[in-house]
Amino acid sequence: MAKSSRDTNWPFLISVGLLSWFIPGGGYFLLKEKKRAWIILITISLLFIAGLYVGSIGVVDKILIADKPWIISKLSWYTAQVVVSPIVMMIGSVTASGQYQVYGKPEEIGQIYTGIAGLLNFLCIINAVYLAYVGVERSGK
Amino acid sequence: MQSIATSLIASFTSPMHIGTTAQALLFIVPLIAAISVVYKATKLESMETKNFIKESASLFSSIFVFILITAIVLLVFTWLVTQ
Repeated sequence: MAKSSRDTNWPFLISVGLLSWFIPGGGYFLLKEKKRAWIILITISLLFIAGLYVGSIGVVDKILIADKPWIISKLSWYTAQVVVSPIVMMIGSVTASGQYQVYGKPEEIGQIYTGIAGLLNFLCIINAVYLAYVGVERSGK
Repeated sequence: MQSIATSLIASFTSPMHIGTTAQALLFIVPLIAAISVVYKATKLESMETKNFIKESASLFSSIFVFILITAIVLLVFTWLVTQ
């Protein structure tokens, strides 16, 4: 049965969502799902770091000029990368100078790794908030 | 210590050299592994190590085999078109 809006603990749900965004898997720590949290933290971080290693920090390309035809594509990648953690925005501000341009295969693979890391974290954020909402007691704690 | 830290940071400021070769396709393997592990970490009810590894490996194999079949079909199609 669906919960009424009075039963919903909004501050807790928001905390779980925000912590999941700040630290991949962080929301699961709040839910006391430590094993799950560590697996997600390590896997998403490794994938993101591997993407940065392959393509350099230049793959985090913060778009500042809006009259380029490829803006939508670039902006989509940047949005997905930022979902990994707000810290990515700091990398974006470093690369905004255009000093770390990267092209070709390394850019492709780097963007795919970092972007997929962001999308996986998005899945984890939604799942953590959902678990916090339904308050499911899972085994294996 | 400082030189190790400097070279570590420097390795993130210049991209790797990756040619357009068949070996470059292997970059898909860590990606599939990460997707399998994270997906199963969110979906499994119980996080028992043995079951988790088994489920992740199963998903990894499914994705990998499907990609392999797709690649073979595309290769055959390309071969037929270019003949």
